[in-house]
Amino acid sequence: MRGAMLPAAALLAAAFSFPAPAQDATRGAAVAEARQCQACHGPQGRSEIPEMPSLAGQQEDFVTMQLILFREGLRRVPAMTEAARGLTDTEAQDLAAYFSSLPSGPKPDRGSPDPALMARGGEVAASRNCNACHLPNFAGRANVPRVNHQREDYLLHTLTEYRDGVRVGADTQMNGLLYGLTDYDLRAVAHFLAHQE
Amino acid sequence: MIRRHLLGLAAAVALPGIALAQQQQPAPPAWAQGRPAEMASSPLAPHAPRLTVTPPDRIPVNSLRVPEGFQVELWAHGLPGARAMTRGPNGTVFVGTRGIGRVYAVRDNGQAREVSTLMSGLDQPSGVAVRDGALFIAAMHRVLRIDNVENNLQNPQPTDLTSAFGQAAEPHHGWKHIAFGPDGRLYIPRGVPCNICEVPEDRFALIESWNPDGSDRRIEARGVRNSVGFDFHPRTGQLWFSNHGRDWAGNNNPSDTLHVSLRRGENHGFPWCAGGFQDPAVEGRLCSEFPPPALILGPHVAPIGTHFYTGTAFPEQYRNALFVALRGSWNRAPLSGFEVIVVREGENGRLVRESFLTGFRDDANQRFSGRPAGLLTMPDGSLLVSDEDNGAIYRVSYRR
Ligand code: HEC
Ligand code: HEC
Repeated sequence: MRGAMLPAAALLAAAFSFPAPAQDATRGAAVAEARQCQACHGPQGRSEIPEMPSLAGQQEDFVTMQLILFREGLRRVPAMTEAARGLTDTEAQDLAAYFSSLPSGPKPDRGSPDPALMARGGEVAASRNCNACHLPNFAGRANVPRVNHQREDYLLHTLTEYRDGVRVGADTQMNGLLYGLTDYDLRAVAHFLAHQE
Repeated sequence: MIRRHLLGLAAAVALPGIALAQQQQPAPPAWAQGRPAEMASSPLAPHAPRLTVTPPDRIPVNSLRVPEGFQVELWAHGLPGARAMTRGPNGTVFVGTRGIGRVYAVRDNGQAREVSTLMSGLDQPSGVAVRDGALFIAAMHRVLRIDNVENNLQNPQPTDLTSAFGQAAEPHHGWKHIAFGPDGRLYIPRGVPCNICEVPEDRFALIESWNPDGSDRRIEARGVRNSVGFDFHPRTGQLWFSNHGRDWAGNNNPSDTLHVSLRRGENHGFPWCAGGFQDPAVEGRLCSEFPPPALILGPHVAPIGTHFYTGTAFPEQYRNALFVALRGSWNRAPLSGFEVIVVREGENGRLVRESFLTGFRDDANQRFSGRPAGLLTMPDGSLLVSDEDNGAIYRVSYRR
């Protein structure tokens, strides 16, 4: 079946010297509207609900990967089951293009940094090299998510799930990385990340 | 013994000016354990896995190269994460994956390949093997069996053998390649739950075998950090396996290796020695105490598929030759691997290696266009090669 499509697809590719990009933010906005992503993730992708992640300015590849993990039932979150049901790869990529194109920013009412938590959070982040993959400004890249400009309560929630082996990612990196950290360490690193510009 | 003071030094260098309040440092993460101080600010990170379908016009089949007289074509596509492959008696090719959690079934109707998803929602089901018409699947610490699988492709009913096999639950290096040996036993490796560490020696760093029902566990090889590819020599039946060296010990150390198991249960060096590299992070035993590898494959090249060619369609010198798919490096600058090599016996019995399928690695731009992973000889003597990054399977054949 699929093999039979090959020659036609190859011809098409040859005909256009600039193939259209696979993903499209405008199409993604329409899918987001139809599936009401903003009802939970906030207008313009900035969450106003506790433990609900913001998606604005999130890394495109990361959003695509997470949507596939939800769709495949690997990252198990009841609230996301319906939203991800039956998404095609293209819809997932379009949604990712849309949310990654929205400007991100720190949560306006995040409060002022607590010196003790900031110090401990900075130590944990440095000793486990969070900046190697998430980059020194914690804005992430490709499959590594943006972890600044995120809600602190969500960061704490999801870090705890990684540490406790509840959250399944596309790899085992984050589970291994957080192994053995205390609840206080996680609180501190979540606070530290939420206060990065 | 892990040298604590070495690790402590690395942490201190990574934290200029910050006085550490706590005496007890958290252990470094699995991937960075044993990292030398000079690599602490390295921006290297594992490459993003691709979980979506790559359209056929973006699959780099036209830029792949094979030796004179061979040809390579796109055999199947639309299988994100395609990795290990095995074939049922009625010709179905089963394909395991990691991140996307699926096992695919590929049927060839003569004109084209039909791809379907046999199982989904499994945690890294990379191991697939067929025995008496049943498909065995190894996911993270789980073993499943689907009886009479080729007659149940639409509605598979797996039997869960997990408790019989009793695999360690630690996720890191817990994904596996599996295969039946000539002795009818199921061979399953168990990698180490870290980058470099000392492990209970009957629990990790092993290749083990069982009866197909999970009884009569036997340790075949010890001191094997992480083997995700092995096969049995078509004539001698000996177990040949590839092994992944540790990360973060430098661009050129240690090398990934190819081994042959000459004595059952023998220790092949982990954590002390890898491919002749005496690991400075661990003390206690010397490289000279372990059997040397059959072949050094190169640093960080990541051997996956490790497969004896059992067909007769390729020229004489490829009969019973060992093909190894090098999925390619992440913990190294510049990139290494990203090709399929062939290992043969040269003059006076020495092993020689040659590149076989290349063109994935773009040295000028330090990019790659695909990651070869699984290998399978087909009844017509062609060789299938899966590409995990593009969710594709290529077919290499010889033109007479
Ligand atoms: C009913 C509420 C709800 C709706 C509607 C919803 N989500 Fe979610 N989503 C959640 C929750 C809750 C989480 C956090 C899961 C967790 O706790 O790990 C989440 C997580 C995510 C994540 C992972 C973010 C991260 O940082 O890890 C992505 C991506 C996502 N949603 C995208 C979407 C998209 C796209 C839509 C619309 C198609 C959508 N969601 C609709 C509730 C919702
Ligand atoms: C080896 C690379 C690597 C390192 C080092 C790393 N991360 Fe991650 N991180 C990732 C990847 C990849 C993901 C997405 C994984 C997935 O699919 O769940 C991720 C996900 C996360 C998330 C989830 C964000 C979201 O929106 O859902 C948080 C929070 C996070 N990391 C924090 C940290 C912290 C804190 C550290 C240091 C203790 C750290 N990371 C170190 C690669 C890394």
